[in-house]
Amino acid sequence: MTALAFGILLLATIVAYALNRHAASRLRARGQPLHSLVGHHAGFAALLVLVPVLVLILLWLGLQGPVISRLLMGGLPQGVLDGLDTGAVQLIEAEITSIAGGRIFGTPEDWKLAAAARLVDLRLMSGQMLLLAVSLLALALIALARHKVAPEFRARQSFESIVTGLMVFASIVAVFTTVGIVASLVFEAGRFFAIVPIHEFLFGLNWEPQIPIRADQIAAEGAFGWVPVLVGTLVITVVALVVSVPIGLMSAIYLNEFAAPRARAIIKPVLEILAGVPTVVYGFFAVLTVAPALRSAGAALGMDVSPNTALAAGGVMAIMLIPFISSFADDALSAVPRALRDGALALGATRAETMLNVLFPAALPGIVGGVLLAVSRAIGETMIVVMAAGLMAKLTLNPLDSVTTVTVQIVTLLIGDTSFDNPKTLAAFALGLMLFLVTLVINVFALRIVRKYREAYD
Amino acid sequence: MNPTKISACNVNVFYGASQAIKDVSLELADKSVTAFIGPSGCGKSTFLRCLNRMNDTIDICRVTGDIRLDGQDINAASVDPVQLRAQVGMVFQKPNPFPKSIYDNVAYGPRIHGLTQNRTELDEIVESSLRAAALWDEVKDRLRQPGTGLSGGQQQRLCIARAIATRPEVILMDEPCSALDPIATAQIDDLIHQMAQDFCVIIVTHSMSQARRVSDRTAYFHMGNMVEYGETEQIFINPREKLTETYVSGRIG
Ligand SMILES: Nc1ncnc2c1ncn2[C@@H]1O[C@H](COP(=O)(O)OP(=O)(O)OP(=O)(O)O)[C@@H](O)[C@H]1O
Ligand SMILES: [Mg+2]
Repeated sequence: MTALAFGILLLATIVAYALNRHAASRLRARGQPLHSLVGHHAGFAALLVLVPVLVLILLWLGLQGPVISRLLMGGLPQGVLDGLDTGAVQLIEAEITSIAGGRIFGTPEDWKLAAAARLVDLRLMSGQMLLLAVSLLALALIALARHKVAPEFRARQSFESIVTGLMVFASIVAVFTTVGIVASLVFEAGRFFAIVPIHEFLFGLNWEPQIPIRADQIAAEGAFGWVPVLVGTLVITVVALVVSVPIGLMSAIYLNEFAAPRARAIIKPVLEILAGVPTVVYGFFAVLTVAPALRSAGAALGMDVSPNTALAAGGVMAIMLIPFISSFADDALSAVPRALRDGALALGATRAETMLNVLFPAALPGIVGGVLLAVSRAIGETMIVVMAAGLMAKLTLNPLDSVTTVTVQIVTLLIGDTSFDNPKTLAAFALGLMLFLVTLVINVFALRIVRKYREAYD
Repeated sequence: MNPTKISACNVNVFYGASQAIKDVSLELADKSVTAFIGPSGCGKSTFLRCLNRMNDTIDICRVTGDIRLDGQDINAASVDPVQLRAQVGMVFQKPNPFPKSIYDNVAYGPRIHGLTQNRTELDEIVESSLRAAALWDEVKDRLRQPGTGLSGGQQQRLCIARAIATRPEVILMDEPCSALDPIATAQIDDLIHQMAQDFCVIIVTHSMSQARRVSDRTAYFHMGNMVEYGETEQIFINPREKLTETYVSGRIG
């Protein structure tokens, strides 16, 4: 039925387009001066039919489920639902639905069979009504569009205002999803803070979220101080930046100023490939190659290196960030006007002096913006740390120790045996909210710097 | 005429396959002003850039011929282009101050070439260069502010001061006044006169009147050829070539 409805929609759109095109061309052939082009008349008709009918179909599909369910449950024989809680009622409805779908388990009561038959009827009826409504609306709109064709009709403006409306709608959707995501984060985090006081979360030095979720489980008391988790994230981020910023910047400077075209043609694509590697692959690399190598290197020096050090996770994250930083810095350097470069060279500066004293300072705001974006990526990076970092929250600044990160904790809190009303699960949302806030601040800051510097040369 | 500072002999310049300068030979006198004029695209800037080897920075550009500064071949393998550019300064068409303070802009050349022993000497060079560029009075109270915050005319004089501060022997100016108003242009004209007492100044200009005002000798370029070269008065009043006459009388270009 639904497919048929969409078929009618498509057909009606084409018909409206063709009809108006034909009508407008006829007017023009008769020598009438048209305000708008024939194509505008046709496009206007197509959109005039397409948009409302599509909205109708989507609304119908969205609403028919709840409406049918209401009718179905309301029509059950008196008394069968008495004394049942919502869960049991939902179970009965699910059973009826599966009977209607032909999947019968055991021998259901007669009233359930009857209800299933009614459900089939209701669905059929809904489908037929949808087809009828769609056809009528489409016909009416086709007629309306056809009726509008006239020499002085401003099809061009009407067409454009429909298109504008669609674009406005699209951006509203984008904004509202963002707002919705943030709102749900805030809401869930609020529930968490109702159980665990916010100062305990923000300033607590212990993170042991594995509390019992059933009475018979034996586990720790539970502590929700996020400081060790935050510090772990920062340690890994700092390791990643200490490695990636110098390498990224130097490779950008080399590519931008010193590399022969041939070298550039090879190195740039290689860096871009690096940027395209899925992070899970980096995770493998960290776990299977870097961490064991660090461990045996540590053993050779007589140090006891944990198998999932911050150094391994951060180091591999650095590899992920290098192309990011490098391409940002490369863009920033390329955006420095050639005139500045020539000015320095004409004063007798060497290429290195030109780069160091003139180009690099001029590009610095853009470079800093790129590095800040890299920071927020490092903080939010999940896969590499899930695979390579630790699970235990330990308050330490030693990169050879095992630390955990905000993202790792979110993942572990939400995996496995969870229910959505205990602090263990809700803590994930609180962490998510903090992560969101931190990266938001950094991103806003970074984008502001980048934008300011973009304007500087225009 | 003063002794020759730069002599160019059979210079050809190619951008890839296309030739921008065709067999140009001329001698430029010391302590005087030489103007290059000619219609757009005739190769004035290209030729100017040969004199401090700025064409080296353009990948596809190739220069042949013999160019000598004080008798020394500037394209010889033994000549360091970086050193050459310290001797032959350049001012560009569009003011291009570095995004640094006014002071640092002027001090940049002396710093990288180690011209000074201490801070006082550097201060002196900065002041004398800014004075020579007729900018000192306007900026002496704001030396620490960014050079990019000056007006266009001030920026161009800052660039001139920056070029002078390196103590070059030759100064190349590529349409230095094209972005300036008449008052700033007049200031720069004065400046060029003054500079000619110490330097060999070469200026590219589209303004006939500026060429007449400031230059001692003028070279007329046309489609990569140097058509005529002589005393400025003679070029403008009594040109030998038909092409020169049509151009300076304002009928082409
Ligand atoms: N970087 C370059 N790459 C390729 N061709 C160039 C380049 N620079 C200049 N040319 C060409 O060389 C010729 C001479 O250019 P040039 O800039 O020297 O002219 P010009 O006399 O300075 O003109 P204008 O008065 O407009 O500044 C032109 O045909 C130009 O297209
Ligand atoms: Mg030019």
